[in-house]
Amino acid sequence: MDPVRVLPCEEGEPAWNMALDEALLRASDGPTLRFYTWSPPGLSLGWFQRYDAVASLPGRHVVVRRLTGGGAIYHQRELTFSITGPLRSMPWADPIEAGYVRLHEAIRDALERVGVDSTLAGNRGRAAPRPDELWCFRHPTHADLLGRTGRKLLGSAQRRIRTPEPRILHHGSLVMAAPAYPIEGTASAHEQVPGLEAEPLVRSLTDALAAVMGRRAEPGRPTAAEIALATDLRDRRYRDPKFIRRR
Amino acid sequence: MRPDDRKYLKSHEWAKPDGDVTVVGISDYAVSHLSDLVFLDLPAVGTEVTADETFGEIESVKAVSDLYAPVSGEVVEINEDLPDNLDRLGEDPFGAAWMIKVKTTAESANLMTAADYEKHLEAEGD
Repeated sequence: MDPVRVLPCEEGEPAWNMALDEALLRASDGPTLRFYTWSPPGLSLGWFQRYDAVASLPGRHVVVRRLTGGGAIYHQRELTFSITGPLRSMPWADPIEAGYVRLHEAIRDALERVGVDSTLAGNRGRAAPRPDELWCFRHPTHADLLGRTGRKLLGSAQRRIRTPEPRILHHGSLVMAAPAYPIEGTASAHEQVPGLEAEPLVRSLTDALAAVMGRRAEPGRPTAAEIALATDLRDRRYRDPKFIRRR
Repeated sequence: MRPDDRKYLKSHEWAKPDGDVTVVGISDYAVSHLSDLVFLDLPAVGTEVTADETFGEIESVKAVSDLYAPVSGEVVEINEDLPDNLDRLGEDPFGAAWMIKVKTTAESANLMTAADYEKHLEAEGD
């Protein structure tokens, strides 16, 4: 069975987290799975979201721009995953709606193994997010995962590029402990399993996501070239106010 | 059969010559695979675009996808009300839903005829 490279779960600053995802999207040899957390907290804006919507929110979070669409996400006590690589190595990803469902069903099962129950939003979610909604986690769509009380627990989004070949970034955010500010009303893993640590969850998710991808998980690290590209992207794009405020 | 008065990229953009200007859009195949289109970013008039590099992005419910320029040159006109009327892409992707017009200085070496584009789509499995 072909491998999927699994990077160690690391805490990163918001600009670095986004930059490494983009570097892997553009330059990784094969498929990569990574998990990461955020420090300081990040507030990531979807590619098309207006910066004005969050510009005046006070707090110690750092605003960053995502390559992927959808609404704003507050990243504090949460676990983010990303899958990147050539689309030809990702048969799970198409058709696109079915790909989301496959991925999220696998995550649901992985969560259940560590004691966290969730369901796909299905008809409780909307077919499409309205463009004027600010927070991703306030408005689930069909494939999103909901916690026991019906609030959103996990959402994910994709960016697809076609050069040098068709490639994909699919990343998603799982709330470990619900923030009180600047958004209320999300579900969290801790409301069902207080104090659940990232490590057992990462192990369970790694097994589940590798299985969806039809590959065996193989621990690895970013290459020097990927780190160099990510460093450049962090400095030139993700820390650049013009890029953050592109819209 | 898709219009043969223009050429196509593998990434589904089309390029139709109109004097020294090229009209650019995306094919029905691209539109049908995107579904539930939400946002479109087009470059400003006056922007220089480069063949085979991105000129904009389109967001559907499920993915943001890059749009690739089939030609190089200066953008001389954009379809300004298309971003607010994305359903036009489903209705008339080869006509009313054109995206940009470029005063062309060079073409992508990857442009293919309508016939070759159809073969490419068959190979993609649709």
